[in-house]
Amino acid sequence: MVLHLPYLFKEVCMKRLSLSLVLVFILAGFVFANGAVEDQVTLTAEEEMWSSELHDWSGKTIRVMMIGDPWIDSLIEISKNFERITGAKVIVDGYGYDQTHEKEVLEGNQPNSDVDIIVLDAPWVGEFAEAGYVENLKPYIEKEDSDLIAWNDYFSTFRDVVTWKDQIVGLPFASYYVMGNYRKDILDKEGFDFPVTTDDVKAIAKHFSNNPDYPNMYGVAMNNQSGSAVGQAFFEWIYSFGGKPFMSMYPGSPDSYADMTPNFDSPEAKETVQFFIDLLEYQPEGALSIAWDDRAKYFASGYVAQAFMWSARMAMLEDPNKSAVIDKVDFGLFPSSEPGKSAPPLGGWLMGIASNGNQKDMAWDFIKWFCSQDVHQEFVMAGGPPSRYSIFTDPETTAKYSWLDTLEDTVDRSYADCRPRIPESNEIITTVGTYISRAMTGELTVDKAMKALNVELAEMLSNAGYNVSK
Amino acid sequence: MHANRIEKLLFIGPVIVLLILFSVFPLLYSLFMSFTDFSIARGYTNGFIGLDNYVQLMKNKQFLVSIFNTAKLIVFGVSTQILLGFVIAKLFKARHGSRLTTFLRTIYIIPIMVTPLIFGLISVYLFDPVYGIINYILQALDLGTMTWYGSEKTALFTIYIVDTWQWTPFTTLLILTGLLNVNESLYEASSIDGASVLQQVFHIEIPLLSRVVGIAVIMRFMDIFRMFDLIYASTKGGPGISTEVISLFAYRQSFNFYKTGFGSTAALIALILTVFFSSKLNTYLSREN
Repeated sequence: MVLHLPYLFKEVCMKRLSLSLVLVFILAGFVFANGAVEDQVTLTAEEEMWSSELHDWSGKTIRVMMIGDPWIDSLIEISKNFERITGAKVIVDGYGYDQTHEKEVLEGNQPNSDVDIIVLDAPWVGEFAEAGYVENLKPYIEKEDSDLIAWNDYFSTFRDVVTWKDQIVGLPFASYYVMGNYRKDILDKEGFDFPVTTDDVKAIAKHFSNNPDYPNMYGVAMNNQSGSAVGQAFFEWIYSFGGKPFMSMYPGSPDSYADMTPNFDSPEAKETVQFFIDLLEYQPEGALSIAWDDRAKYFASGYVAQAFMWSARMAMLEDPNKSAVIDKVDFGLFPSSEPGKSAPPLGGWLMGIASNGNQKDMAWDFIKWFCSQDVHQEFVMAGGPPSRYSIFTDPETTAKYSWLDTLEDTVDRSYADCRPRIPESNEIITTVGTYISRAMTGELTVDKAMKALNVELAEMLSNAGYNVSK
Repeated sequence: MHANRIEKLLFIGPVIVLLILFSVFPLLYSLFMSFTDFSIARGYTNGFIGLDNYVQLMKNKQFLVSIFNTAKLIVFGVSTQILLGFVIAKLFKARHGSRLTTFLRTIYIIPIMVTPLIFGLISVYLFDPVYGIINYILQALDLGTMTWYGSEKTALFTIYIVDTWQWTPFTTLLILTGLLNVNESLYEASSIDGASVLQQVFHIEIPLLSRVVGIAVIMRFMDIFRMFDLIYASTKGGPGISTEVISLFAYRQSFNFYKTGFGSTAALIALILTVFFSSKLNTYLSREN
């Protein structure tokens, strides 16, 4: 008996160990089974409707390449619903502005791509359509129920933006318009109405800068950074000064690209640049380096009295986690040199199908789902930029966002070609921005800068085959 | 012997193939591109255009300014980093071996471990004229504030400061290695002969460190010549064109404007200048040794 004790002890230990392991496995099975049960999708009624409309994409992955703007998190969050409905996995890659353009052009030049959906900016429409980077969505739209697409519910000016030579390049899901943002609390206190003209802008800017009653406050923050930032700003303001950057490019033009003779040395163009220069002294220190994010940051932090920002930033201003000026902000129509001449800038993003992608049907399913009225409303509620008229009558969105009435006043006043939508757009805007920045630093006079710019763009556009007068 | 040759080829063959694929071929292809008007977005418009790109480049004010800005950064950046690196290396050497010195040295070299792009992004926040901590400290010390990246007068200077901040630790380490290898008996002998500290620096340390310093100069020269990340993250060449540098110019032509032919020309000119000046520097330093 004594001789068998170690053996017995070992036997008992082994049995106990085996029993323990079995119990652990059974318990683990319960846990994972429960998890699996929890993972079984329970769809809402709306999602049930969509599951009959969309295909089953279980096991597939869809890739979206897009800008990393503030609402990207909202898009990612809402995309999880698509995953639930179809079983597909949605991967969203967001980049900075220049990187998005680079990557999309490089991707578009490949024979095949892993990217299924391209989110492109308004000025890139012509470039991407001409190069064939994205599918023409017209045939896709024509096959669908018109109530599902609700094409006429998109803002009319943005419907024009996404259309290029009878092609529909993408669905206009994230339209941007520039609106005025003002510190209502201090403007009211000082007896100012929100500015209607550019002179009003200057007066407010002057009043709140270097004002001992408002220490650490500046009058305005503008997009001044050299290159694409101030270049874009020029195209935002020129029409509201009554000008036109190219001879046939103006609101109401029958063909914006008929005569691309540069017009940057016109009195209105010079007045626009002088306006930028005049406002420099009323802006935070280092104003020449202010770009989109800085402008938004200064305003949301309460450092400036007014700023003119894309509507995509508006939701941030009313987010207590991101804004120090909640309940202090009012919104207004984009100002102009004369009352009633406002031509609010238009921009924004459209969702297209990559031509060299291999999952076009799935891409179309995602696009038509994401851009549908109901999902768009969810997107807007989560912070996405509104792009449909129905948003203005939706009780939830109108209760949440106080700036929607200003946006409604803005959308139909814009000009679809406020920035050229041709392949040379990026080069034009950056070149314009570089010369304007050189004028703003004083390296060149406004006259010299705009004349030199005219000459350079005339040569560039002439070489590219556009109609340019000598 | 034949087997020996094959063995050698087998060992160095893969490296040669990689060199050809990733260095020689891209270089030759860029050279070819520089004689065309190829655009990655629009293909060829006129095809072969001879020396047109080179002529246009030499007339391009922005490109000429970029060369000038790059030269300024090299001259001031390299000299400051070597000088400062030497002084700090001397300080570290004086207290070499102590735990405090080891700890301080570890913290000191952190900037060189951060990628230049991230360092540039961080510097944008540090040097923000309104929010930045640098101006906050200057104000607290009653020294006023600066616009840093926000003015054409100070933007290039700010780039120079940030680059110096990040890379002086690198030159410090190189020089410190050299200093620690200087024979202590030389110091002792010179002290006995009545040499002052400065005399020891000029007559012992600098001559003995010339090779190490030469390497540091060449490496920093090439790095600053190629500088892109810091400027792209901070000023993008502005305000105006006050911080435009060669690599940013080439990048913008090729990847913003998609004028690949023209961008390749700029990149090639940058390469030629880098190789020319690096080899001249190397020859000079070898002769001095």
